[in-house]
Amino acid sequence: MKRLSRILLFSALAGMMALAVGCGDGATGGNTDAEDEEFAFANSGAYKPFSFDEGGAIVGFDVDIANEIAERIGRTPVMNSPVPFDTLIQGLKAGKYDALVASHGITAEREEQVDFTRPYYRSGPQIFVQTGTTDIAGPDDLDGKKLGVLKASTYLDLAATLTGEGNLVTYDSDVVALQDLTTGRVDAVITDKLVGLVARNESGLEIEAVGDVLMADEMGIAVQEGNSELLAEINQALEDMIADGTYEEISMRWFDESILGE
Amino acid sequence: MAFVTVIQEHFWGFLKATGMTLQLTAVSLVLAVVIGLIFAFLKISDNRAGILIANGYIGITRGFPLIVQLMFLYFGISEIILLSSFWAGSLALAFHAGGYVAEIFRGAIQNVDRGQTEAARSLGMSRGKAMRLIILPQAFRRAIPPLGNQFIIGLKDSSLVAYLGVPDLYSNAMTAAAANYQPFETYLVAGMYYLVLVVIFTRVVNKLETRLTPHRQEAAR
Repeated sequence: MKRLSRILLFSALAGMMALAVGCGDGATGGNTDAEDEEFAFANSGAYKPFSFDEGGAIVGFDVDIANEIAERIGRTPVMNSPVPFDTLIQGLKAGKYDALVASHGITAEREEQVDFTRPYYRSGPQIFVQTGTTDIAGPDDLDGKKLGVLKASTYLDLAATLTGEGNLVTYDSDVVALQDLTTGRVDAVITDKLVGLVARNESGLEIEAVGDVLMADEMGIAVQEGNSELLAEINQALEDMIADGTYEEISMRWFDESILGE
Repeated sequence: MAFVTVIQEHFWGFLKATGMTLQLTAVSLVLAVVIGLIFAFLKISDNRAGILIANGYIGITRGFPLIVQLMFLYFGISEIILLSSFWAGSLALAFHAGGYVAEIFRGAIQNVDRGQTEAARSLGMSRGKAMRLIILPQAFRRAIPPLGNQFIIGLKDSSLVAYLGVPDLYSNAMTAAAANYQPFETYLVAGMYYLVLVVIFTRVVNKLETRLTPHRQEAAR
């Protein structure tokens, strides 16, 4: 028995090591070497119309932009999606992807973690309420109201200042947040203006936008900190596609207007 | 009615995702049984280091929430080794279930009457042989019902890997709900897929149990 247990102990340790080593081969994406010709990008797949499921495939504005970039920098696009939005930056830092083309607002906080390209579209946080709501006409009316907002989004802090931390309800997906608006669990939802309007138009949700956008958000594509080579390549690709009209063509596909905002 | 539409519209998506869920569950449970057996033996061995390691392992895997183990394997050790989301998920599920499986096996082995070992030994069998030929077959039979239970839990636990971006059933429900604006119906459909899998699984386990238990086999006839 003593010998048996010793053999088992060794085989347990050896087995775990073998497993750990063997599984390394299965890793996908993430390689930042430009030589392997892959452009691994990621998005949440739950942010219609930027990235969403259509008949089993993730499509949208962000996907089209990412594919266009890949083509222009001469790499094969490899999409990682759906990835929950709040794990995207973590995953980029861990080297799982080359870039996040996932509608990240450029903020000082995020810029400490990753490097951003030039803005690739502009939008802003918009207050949405249930149709027929009379007591909310603008941001000043939100004090003390239950406010729905996307987890790990730039709107979280903004929402907290408007209503107080305790009144926040956080969601994994904007669409679920807007849906919950119609149940009355939240009094208002702050989400991207474009996302909200598309959701309302497509789903027939009984919601409406109140007031102007609360601030102008610039959305950037994120790469790993210090990856200046890829950053420059993507920036060049963006400039080129804006200059030759490809950007506008992609934007028209999803919004019937250019959302570059310049 | 919206419910039926969701089933129809997302049929292929959910079917593909079911394949992923089954793959994850199968890989993780096979690994969990191997891991569980190894640590069960370590724990009942008379090797003090082995017992210490087994207790440490079981304590950690049963003590940490599964989501923490998932995040650790996927993000926490990415500096050392870059696991794909599938393997990070499968391994975390396996490590997690392995702790429980180890305890199931240990309990089953220790539950076999001491007299069995003594009788086998008195017939001249070595300890290893007695374990292999006399104790383990009986222990395995006893382990089937709690193992089946653990497997069902493992199947449903696998839904957490959606947070690593593995395109499993739950992840499919998340994206589908975000696209069709019908979260209630969509999650209900996902739940039904899990339910069907669990029912099928329960039947298989019951069959296996009957087959391995002679007197119940009689009763079943």
